[in-house]
Amino acid sequence: MHERPNHSTEKREARLAWAFVLPALSVVALIAIFPLLWTFWESLHVHDLRMPWRGNPFVGLENYREAFTEPRFWQALGHTLFFTAISVALEVVLGLILALALNRAYRGRGFVRVLVLLPWAIPTVVAALLWRFIFEERGIVNAALINAGAMDGAHPLVWFGHSLLAWTPVILADVWKTTPFVTLLLLAGLQNIDSTLYEAARMDGASPWMQFTNITLPLLKPALLVVLIFRTLDAFRVFDLIYVLTNGGPGTSTEPIALYTFTRLMNNLRFGYGSALSVIVFLVTFLLAVVYIRALGVKLTEKPQ
Amino acid sequence: MQLFFHRLLVIPAALLLASCGGGQRKGVLSFPASAVGKEAEVLKIQVRRFEKENPGIMVDLRKTPDASDLRHQLYVQWLNARASEPDVLQLDVVWTAEFAAAGWIMPLDRFKPDVEDFFPGTIAANLWDKKLHALPWFVDVGMLYYRTDLVSPPKTFADLIKSAEEGTARSRLPYGFVWQGARYEGLVCVFLEHLGGFGGRILDEEGGVVVDSEEAVQALTFMRDCVAKARIVPEAALTWKEEETRFAFQNGETIFLRNWPYAYRSMSDDQHSKVGGKFAVTAMPVRSHLGGGPGDKGLSAGKHTATLGGSQLAINANTANPEAAYHLIEFLTRPEQMLERALMTGQYPPRRNVYDDPKLATGLAVPPKDARRIIESATPRPVTPVYAELSEILQIWLHRALTGQVDPRLALENAAGEIRRLLKKVGLD
Repeated sequence: MHERPNHSTEKREARLAWAFVLPALSVVALIAIFPLLWTFWESLHVHDLRMPWRGNPFVGLENYREAFTEPRFWQALGHTLFFTAISVALEVVLGLILALALNRAYRGRGFVRVLVLLPWAIPTVVAALLWRFIFEERGIVNAALINAGAMDGAHPLVWFGHSLLAWTPVILADVWKTTPFVTLLLLAGLQNIDSTLYEAARMDGASPWMQFTNITLPLLKPALLVVLIFRTLDAFRVFDLIYVLTNGGPGTSTEPIALYTFTRLMNNLRFGYGSALSVIVFLVTFLLAVVYIRALGVKLTEKPQ
Repeated sequence: MQLFFHRLLVIPAALLLASCGGGQRKGVLSFPASAVGKEAEVLKIQVRRFEKENPGIMVDLRKTPDASDLRHQLYVQWLNARASEPDVLQLDVVWTAEFAAAGWIMPLDRFKPDVEDFFPGTIAANLWDKKLHALPWFVDVGMLYYRTDLVSPPKTFADLIKSAEEGTARSRLPYGFVWQGARYEGLVCVFLEHLGGFGGRILDEEGGVVVDSEEAVQALTFMRDCVAKARIVPEAALTWKEEETRFAFQNGETIFLRNWPYAYRSMSDDQHSKVGGKFAVTAMPVRSHLGGGPGDKGLSAGKHTATLGGSQLAINANTANPEAAYHLIEFLTRPEQMLERALMTGQYPPRRNVYDDPKLATGLAVPPKDARRIIESATPRPVTPVYAELSEILQIWLHRALTGQVDPRLALENAAGEIRRLLKKVGLD
């Protein structure tokens, strides 16, 4: 047997590697890239199932122009960004506090960890219904407010009838439900931090706050990034929670972009226009992910050093 | 534009006539219909009877989703694919125009159906391009429930407010009047009844948008005032659908309720209801029973309006067997089948003469003479192929006005503008 030059082996191995991942790549192409391209193609047509007499003509970017000139689209986008910013901020802060607390060694820690996870385990639709009952006219919240004398019992507050107040149950429900997820990821991140670093810091006389800002936060960055990406993208695509809680009402005051897209696509059966909306949602979420990765300066695929 | 639709409708019909040679009454008809409980039972009996009377025709009953929007999606997918099955379709009242304009169901005129006996509203709902496209099977109408022990039936909206205010003061009930105020189809139905009562409409005879008329503004202002000024309608009703409003009435919390006939039966049941035997139904009120008064600036007196719901039967335009399909529809909508259906399911027949039969009273919850009087005022929602979008626009603006986000006039002007743009976009203006 002759030994071949090194670079040739490498080339061959690279080819072999490509051959090995080819099946996986084609599956990805089939279930991710192909539907994406198809959706984009659809978005350039009228394709209205309910009005077959309009045919299925190619209209270029007309659907996008319609979306960008439609006030309801911009409102829905605004609602989504509002919801995302507030709920993700609350979740990350609360999740971090909980994770720090759970990271300490104390008796019954395992039990508390399970307890914290419970809301995450409840299906979103069920959780949404729970919060709907809690905030209904005769729900617990109003009963408590009336008992405390903060509300007139004859005219209880109709949370779901006010355009701003209706956000309260929506955001609370989301924070309640997804903070455990944030906690879990951050807790995993915390446990990866070498405890000797803290010992050394204490020796040097660093205050707990200095330890937090100089050791915990920088080393938690990758975990935080993952949390932020996951949560932001999830929150941006929020659908089921709001669908059950407010159905976008009152009027369209709590309608997120996903619900608006769903209405156009599934209720109005406007496949072309709905596809254009889907493409816009995809582009925005993609952009958000890129921004995060740039801003936090971490590479997701980077090997831990 | 009408001409364009016309042509679209004629082509498939002509092709069919050519291909099946007419007169053929043989083959298998597929018929997906609501198939739960008593409805399934009576349908099976009647279909078997039909098959016995018509040897050579078989009916294949199919199960379909009971939820109306799911059934709609399914139908649209089938019909879009130009499938020849199902042959016979059960349509919600607001789908006929949509399916007819799309050329998915065939006009029934060539079968010369006898529609003399049907309530006028039930026929009007099924006309597209002046041709009948479906036959009414059973009807649903909005009605006003009132507490007979507390008030007498109101004739005008002013009476209603007065009775509600006095009644709640006297009897200490928390609410005067409840209706379905959540942002969904039910809200449009409630609005339509107020609108008609004030003499307004959503679309006029020619299909022009008139939902921003003075009558309409008054109707919506009245609804908003009931919530915000007179406070006879609870603010919570703006999140309620049928069931929440029924609970309020049957728990004895309100004097008036707007609902469909289905509520009558369960509210008469003393086991669950506190108001059994203490209520009756009447048509929704009007602006004035005297005609336009001096303060009304020459506006019309309004007419009693009951939003029409219910099911129709239509024929797939691509069916291989139109004669047999029509035969089945004609059979199922005969008075004797309707009577039997009413007795078994409690559904309200769309034919007037069925109400003359004394047996009917044993099947219907609402006394037949009350039901008949209300169904006489049954009014279809706008008959347009884009009803779903039109309704969505209205739902949003009505809800914004009722929750105090915008003034009723501005809301209706915006809604009218959006509806006009919609009609223009699809070439229906």
